[in-house]
Amino acid sequence: MTAAVLKLIARRLIAAIPILLIVSALLFCILRLLPVDPAAMSLPPNATIAEIEDKRREMGLDKPLPQQYLIWLSDALHGDFGRSIALRRDAGELVAATLPATIQLAACAMAIAAILGLGGGLILFRLRGMLFEPVADLASIVLLSIPEFLWGLILLFVFGVLLQWLPFTGQVSPGLPLPHITGFLLLDSLLAGRLDVFWSACQHLILPAVALGLAFSPTIMRVLRSSLFDVYLEDYIQQARLRGLSERHILLSHALKNASLPTLTLAGVQFGILFSGTLLVEVIYSYPGMGNLMVDAVRNADLPLIQAIGLTYCIVVLLINTAVDSLYVVLNPKLRVR
Amino acid sequence: MASKLKRRSFLQLAAGAAAGMSAPFTRARAATTDAATIGWPNDVPSWDPNQRFTPDAQPIFKAVFDQPLDQDPQLKLIPHLIKSWSLAPDALSMAVELRDDVTFHNGDKMTTEDFRYTFFERIKAGLKLDTANSWKKVDDIVIESPVKATMKFNAPAPTAPQWMAFLGSYMVPKKYIESGGLDNFLKNPVGTGPYKLAEYELNSRIVLERYDGYWGPKPKIAHVTIEIIKDPSARVAAIQSGQTDFTINVPVREAERFQKEPGLSAELDPITRVILIQMRADLAFADRNVRLAAHHAIDKAALSKAFYAGAAVPLSVLATPGTPGYLTDFSFKYDPALAKALLAKSNFSTSNPVKIGFATTNGQFPSDYDIARAIVQMWKQVGIEADLQVIEYAKYFELNRGNKLPETTLYSWDNATGDPEIFSGYQLNPKMPFSPWKDEDIGNRVLALFGVADYDKRIAGYRDLERYAVENGATVPLLQSVVTIVRKKNLAYTKYANGWVLPQTLRWS
Repeated sequence: MTAAVLKLIARRLIAAIPILLIVSALLFCILRLLPVDPAAMSLPPNATIAEIEDKRREMGLDKPLPQQYLIWLSDALHGDFGRSIALRRDAGELVAATLPATIQLAACAMAIAAILGLGGGLILFRLRGMLFEPVADLASIVLLSIPEFLWGLILLFVFGVLLQWLPFTGQVSPGLPLPHITGFLLLDSLLAGRLDVFWSACQHLILPAVALGLAFSPTIMRVLRSSLFDVYLEDYIQQARLRGLSERHILLSHALKNASLPTLTLAGVQFGILFSGTLLVEVIYSYPGMGNLMVDAVRNADLPLIQAIGLTYCIVVLLINTAVDSLYVVLNPKLRVR
Repeated sequence: MASKLKRRSFLQLAAGAAAGMSAPFTRARAATTDAATIGWPNDVPSWDPNQRFTPDAQPIFKAVFDQPLDQDPQLKLIPHLIKSWSLAPDALSMAVELRDDVTFHNGDKMTTEDFRYTFFERIKAGLKLDTANSWKKVDDIVIESPVKATMKFNAPAPTAPQWMAFLGSYMVPKKYIESGGLDNFLKNPVGTGPYKLAEYELNSRIVLERYDGYWGPKPKIAHVTIEIIKDPSARVAAIQSGQTDFTINVPVREAERFQKEPGLSAELDPITRVILIQMRADLAFADRNVRLAAHHAIDKAALSKAFYAGAAVPLSVLATPGTPGYLTDFSFKYDPALAKALLAKSNFSTSNPVKIGFATTNGQFPSDYDIARAIVQMWKQVGIEADLQVIEYAKYFELNRGNKLPETTLYSWDNATGDPEIFSGYQLNPKMPFSPWKDEDIGNRVLALFGVADYDKRIAGYRDLERYAVENGATVPLLQSVVTIVRKKNLAYTKYANGWVLPQTLRWS
């Protein structure tokens, strides 16, 4: 099994090279074709038109697009993703500083989405043919139709403003130190032995993670229910019934395992979407992640930073898909034989 | 028995957890009169205050760093790190005398070496600093003593004193940066300001601690936390829930609502920011009649009432009340009948409207798109048909560079100094990137004023220019913009005419 997984990972990594090249080239070209002037954005308001022209030349914006791309690619291969126009800092360094917070948020949100999705899917399936099925169905559609930023605002209003149960700005309460070890605050606070920071970080993470999780759970719910419907048509379910197994046992021990495979694939795809969904949620909750950084970069036409963040999103999605496919191999013996 | 105990323990734990969850979350620092939390819309671009000109970051920089000169709440230039200054009659040099009791947060004494380093050496070293543009005329800074120096300019710099209190002009420590390196300075900035930076997290939080060695009046509040909350709705929620004590730039309707909230105080303060329509001198606007008709057709008071609760002051010139360039004896009237008559002279009418383009941003400043839509309707009433085009702010420069902006563009221009050069001088200077107006007559007048050294003559020149520009339809000033401020009623602050909210002026009552 390990060999099969390793083979798959190696194959995926090799395939990732042309994908990354294509994505980086597309990103580069699209960003350069936008009708914005990064040279003007990088100079102060008292710069003259002549100084802006000089800056354009200095930034290489007067060179042909393919040449500009090759220069960027060569620098990127040497670990230099350029400097942020607005922040005048290394774009790669900014991404590295903010990525762990976003991964932490996305991972917590995915865990919530998975729990709600699995639980909801099982409930939806159990309610099949019953009086409450249309109600539950409608509820899942309503959940599906609310985007993550709206959940963000609703939760903020209810739990932050009305009930005042939970904080909704930043990562920890004012006055608490931020241990910097790995960049993952939950882990760092534990490594530093600061349970107060850990608790505060958990409190601050609840609302944004739930907002994201709630937005992505209905799809998992509905796919799981649909997969369970398919699985229940299989002969082995009928045989299990004939063996006298309880419906609960059949559902949890037999049907769920097989129905979870397509759900897992979907969850992998969803995680990629969820990761990019952090953008607005991070802004709403003043969460210092990469999404927040991206919103600023777009606002400032900060092309080097947009390019670096865009490429990072692509790498993360590729890694997630590889991880999910590997898990698929672990869970599905048929794939190992092949 | 054991099982029962376990169940009981479990229930107790669950009840405790539920009670904990239902209680308001605990704050690490209890609310005291020694601490305050501000909800701020933007982070600083970097902790090198000379690096980027970001108006929203200036109040934060002013807490950690000091400027050589300062402005009082009415924007009058006042001594600060510089005790006295003297601009030569030809504006080719400026002698300054610094205070001798100023120390940086690391204990180093501030001297003219730091002054020379900040305003000359760093720029000549080729560092990517925005101040390189404001101080590009500096040829040298001659040090005469630890407190006395003379700035030498290679061209007249009549606004040098104003720039000493403007964007990016903050004193930085030469010795500390040179010995520790720029990266160390960016991570652990050291200034001479009333607060030290205690903690910083990008796009999230800035924690300031009072600097006890500060040379000036000590801040009343020892700990100030600035929460970076970019979303206006989240800023509203934060002040309403008590997670912040003070916030700015909330939507006008929310500010009006907060005026009725007990415990909170909300204000709409007019500031030195002008909302205007930038004009082109060609295309359909080559005709002066059409340009003036477009101006006469706009009911500015109605715009103020509709979008700024009447707090935004209608303007007739490109300057705000109280600033040197403002004209109290000049007003450009709202007169749709006159607008129609002017258009009729050029053979246009409501049945044969003149067609123009009108660019606007959506969300760059409060109600920008809605104001533009209202203006389009006002123009329609007199015979101007405007095609409204929404552009991104970043796109503005590219369009202007390529001479592709339409006849009119709705714009907002901020000028914390209040100096007319940075109002009409920048907005009508054909060599600057903010002026779609390319016309030799007005352009030459502006360029000439950039070289006038005498303050009174310079101001008089700009006052004439402002009237002339409006009378010729070169610009349409609309409103003096407002900043919305919401705060706890017992948290006072000093109001500045340019909208600065300085943490060092906060005080609990």
